[in-house]
Amino acid sequence: MMPDGDTALLRLLQLADSAIPIGGTAHSFGLETLADEENLTPYGVSTFLTAYLEEAGALETIFVRQSHKGGDLRDLNAKLSARKLARESREASLKLGHRFAELVNGMVGSSLLETNLHYCIAFGAAGRAFGIPVNAVTLAYLNQSIAGLISACQRLMPLGQTAASKILWNLKPAIVRASLSEEALCFSPYLELASMRHGSLETRLFIS
Amino acid sequence: MRAFGSLVHLNNVSGGVLAGDRLMLDVDVQAGAAAQITTTGATRLYRHRSGAADSEQLATFAVGDGALLEFLPDAVIPYAGSRHVQRTEFQLGRGSTLFWWDVLAPGRLAAGERFAFERLRVQSQVYVGVRPVLQEDYILEPKGKELSAMPRMFEYSHTASLCAVQEGRPPVFWRTLEDRLNEIARARTEHGRTVWGASMLPSDGVVVRGLSMSGCFIPETLIEFWRTVRLAVTGVEAVLPRKIY
Repeated sequence: MMPDGDTALLRLLQLADSAIPIGGTAHSFGLETLADEENLTPYGVSTFLTAYLEEAGALETIFVRQSHKGGDLRDLNAKLSARKLARESREASLKLGHRFAELVNGMVGSSLLETNLHYCIAFGAAGRAFGIPVNAVTLAYLNQSIAGLISACQRLMPLGQTAASKILWNLKPAIVRASLSEEALCFSPYLELASMRHGSLETRLFIS
Repeated sequence: MRAFGSLVHLNNVSGGVLAGDRLMLDVDVQAGAAAQITTTGATRLYRHRSGAADSEQLATFAVGDGALLEFLPDAVIPYAGSRHVQRTEFQLGRGSTLFWWDVLAPGRLAAGERFAFERLRVQSQVYVGVRPVLQEDYILEPKGKELSAMPRMFEYSHTASLCAVQEGRPPVFWRTLEDRLNEIARARTEHGRTVWGASMLPSDGVVVRGLSMSGCFIPETLIEFWRTVRLAVTGVEAVLPRKIY
């Protein structure tokens, strides 16, 4: 439960809503390539996302937490950019971060958040700005990130609403484990390659 | 090296890296200089000895203003039971150039070793001035985390990378080069055998990534990528190290 009040909880729920209008539904972060090649199927989505959380999820957790602490976010942003070697996924993260910051700034009526930050960094900064505890911010970020990828899978393969909900429900322990990461470690070359090769697909539903 | 620069072969006379070893390489390519550094063979990481520290290899490279460095080592082969930390750091000055490739094998496949090592930590970074353009940090512990998981290596066993950086080139140059490299990647990708891709870095360079079922499938394509980026970035043809690949 949220120790700092109902308002903070409600704000977090809104910021982490999968329907937040920042263009998240336009990005698959390489999953479209894997689905197109029939490597990623409905039966493998849960296993895939468990490993995804152990790698990319663990990495982004560190940056959400570091952002939440404050400090030089531009320097933090540059370091995360250097970790995201696949251009499309890197640009997608920056685009979502930019739109997220603009949305939040628009809602509060001031330049509360820096724009041009990666999404996870902007999200962590927003959590700090609204006084939301870091653990909740991290969990919410990872949950909505995974929810977004599951939603992408629903458009890429025959994955129904109930099955998708069940996948997200059953991934909670993996999300919690990822949120507790202590080092910015990530090893995901095949997913990276999928993102690098995404631009070569003949037809694409997603920008990344 | 034909035309210019120094050719350096690094040779570990002990034949491999043993538990407790701390190997440090510190290279300074001074302003305007050029060097190609390679190895005489694969870096073999031997089985860990109980009670000893993990073996460690730290290589730091400073590339001065207008200098050029090609660091083209042979593969790293972590033997069964090995525990190792590998750190590689590049610091580039104004107008300097870097070409760097690395290949990681899963073990001695011919001896039936595939991901039989205990632990391998790899930390790499490339800085152009104060700007980080490439950073990696990962730990492979095959018994703890399944390397064949799809985001990781899927059905492949070997990884390969080529990084090309030159300070001062505009983003449009790298974007164009990325497209050219991805044409090669598409032509050279054969699913179930090797997969390749390329991407521009956040600034100042491009990276090529590959995954392969065998070390035999890597050298020819890696050299083709290297020749392409070398010519595009420097205007000068690549000079292959004088060895058999």
